[in-house]
Amino acid sequence: MNDSRSIRMHYGFRALLLLLFALYIGHLVQQDALHYYVAPKLARWIRLCPVPLSLMALSLGIQALFGKSARLCDCEHRLPRSGLNSVMLYGLFLFPLLLGFLLPDRSLGSAAAAKKGMALSYVADEAAEHVKFNAASPYLEEFAELAGKLYAQPVIQVYPEIFSETLGAIDLYKQQFEGRSITVTGFLYQENKDGTPKSYAVSRFLVQCCTADATPLGILLDPRTQISLPADTWIEVRGKLHISTYMGKEVIQITPEAIIPVPQPSTPYVYTNADSAAAWAEIQQSGLKAE
Amino acid sequence: MTLFSPLKALPLLIPAAFLITACILWLPGHPQVLNNAYTGAFKTGFIGILLEALPFVLLGALLSSLLRVFVPDEMISRWIPRRPLPAILFGCLLGILFPVCECGMIPLVRRLMHKGMPLYVAIVFILSGPILNPVVYGATLTAFRAHPELAYARMGLAFIVAAVIGLAVYATVRKTPLRLSIARESGEPHERSTRGGKLVAVFVHTSDEFFEMGKYLIIGCLLTSGIQTFMDQGSLAAIGGKPLGSYLFMMGLAYVLSLCSTSDAFVASTFLHTFPSGSLLAFMVLGPMLDFKNSLMLLSLFKTKFALYLFFMIVSTVFIGSVLASLWL
Repeated sequence: MNDSRSIRMHYGFRALLLLLFALYIGHLVQQDALHYYVAPKLARWIRLCPVPLSLMALSLGIQALFGKSARLCDCEHRLPRSGLNSVMLYGLFLFPLLLGFLLPDRSLGSAAAAKKGMALSYVADEAAEHVKFNAASPYLEEFAELAGKLYAQPVIQVYPEIFSETLGAIDLYKQQFEGRSITVTGFLYQENKDGTPKSYAVSRFLVQCCTADATPLGILLDPRTQISLPADTWIEVRGKLHISTYMGKEVIQITPEAIIPVPQPSTPYVYTNADSAAAWAEIQQSGLKAE
Repeated sequence: MTLFSPLKALPLLIPAAFLITACILWLPGHPQVLNNAYTGAFKTGFIGILLEALPFVLLGALLSSLLRVFVPDEMISRWIPRRPLPAILFGCLLGILFPVCECGMIPLVRRLMHKGMPLYVAIVFILSGPILNPVVYGATLTAFRAHPELAYARMGLAFIVAAVIGLAVYATVRKTPLRLSIARESGEPHERSTRGGKLVAVFVHTSDEFFEMGKYLIIGCLLTSGIQTFMDQGSLAAIGGKPLGSYLFMMGLAYVLSLCSTSDAFVASTFLHTFPSGSLLAFMVLGPMLDFKNSLMLLSLFKTKFALYLFFMIVSTVFIGSVLASLWL
């Protein structure tokens, strides 16, 4: 059983921890670093979290400082009773804060991609039977529309806003896009699987909700290219699309004409887009205005 | 605080890890030691899962303490139908009313049970709530745009599994399986124990719930991100070659990854051409019902024996159900 003094101590500690959590989220928002961890649609909710957290801290603080001793009770036995238990509990809550404040924010890279397994083709095999830019299901319709628009371009620009959709559209109509020019930006990924020669890919992480569900998407680079850059370098690749086989599967591959190191983009991950064809038109429009 | 014994050792690792981290930071040249690709991936994964769960845990804790302070005890039990079948249906539909992710579920359910919700209805709600809600339905439909039948099958199977387990609990469990510390909680008015009126009381209870659930959440996040950082998913996929293996692999993956139920459909969709759709269904139904952080929370709510019984029923019902559903898919 805790006496009122130790209850005050617990409440004080808890108020401090809650305040630190609120500060950490505030710090992430201020540094514009939330996108390293969660997708934008979830970030909205996380930005709100400091409000309840600080209200909770305030209420606990009031209890700790001004609560009448007779009224403070640990009736539900929810506070840790021994010193060791308290240290463990608060150490546990301190751990993410320490990790968060002490280590730099970094985006996922090649090491995580290797563990998760790089995706080099993005649509179901049965879909590949469609030869023209029309498709039966509404899902493929969207890809077909986007593919049609991309096909009309002299150089296909892979925009980060519709990264996964663009790769999907090209992958779906590999045959048509054979030999077309493409420009794509991503981090350099090097695959070291036993028994296969070194292969490189330019890739991005697709995040749905948070980094736990991040999936790496990439386009293979022609294995004959000489690359001396270290893995995880951000690069812009210009080159021609070709079909090749990798691990027994038909995949798209870029034969690079130029590989230029670029600074890491402010948002390293890519997200899904509900209507990629419309998004593409919008990007084109704003691009024209900028010129 | 009544922790069960195997878990008692787990939090000990944290202060140890903390000391090691502090020591490394003291040493000269620490950036090289700490700043490698693995710690980076671990931190990104860990903070990512934690931040993702945080709004839901806070929401669950807040709802639970609002219920506690403002809703009188008899009210909930008056709403729940007396007979088991309508009550189970009610439990399934409750998810539409409270679209809370599984992390926010436990504090809410604990409060509902304290307010007189029968055990079997609570179980039905715990199991179906994270799946049978509009947000998850929408997300699943988006992830499987080419195969909408998988989204329908997910909703249907979740409903059936929750109802079957609810009936089994109704028929077999007589004694309350709640842990002692919660069962002892009496109905005495707590408003007078706090200073500053009901609003302050709400936030004090919210933070009680937050610290209660938060420890399981953080341990779950630590283990999950550790596994994600060091486990090679490609090598495990080799097990998935055989039909039985694919089910076991996808169910194991769902347990280990502890994804949010709104995003797991997207992860499942990346396995669409390598695994049979029945196993994807098992992945999407089992994950929200039972995963790493979730099972730690369930173990904190229920006695170990009942929790293990529940885990066994969930795994076997989901397995049977998804194999049967695969005949139709």
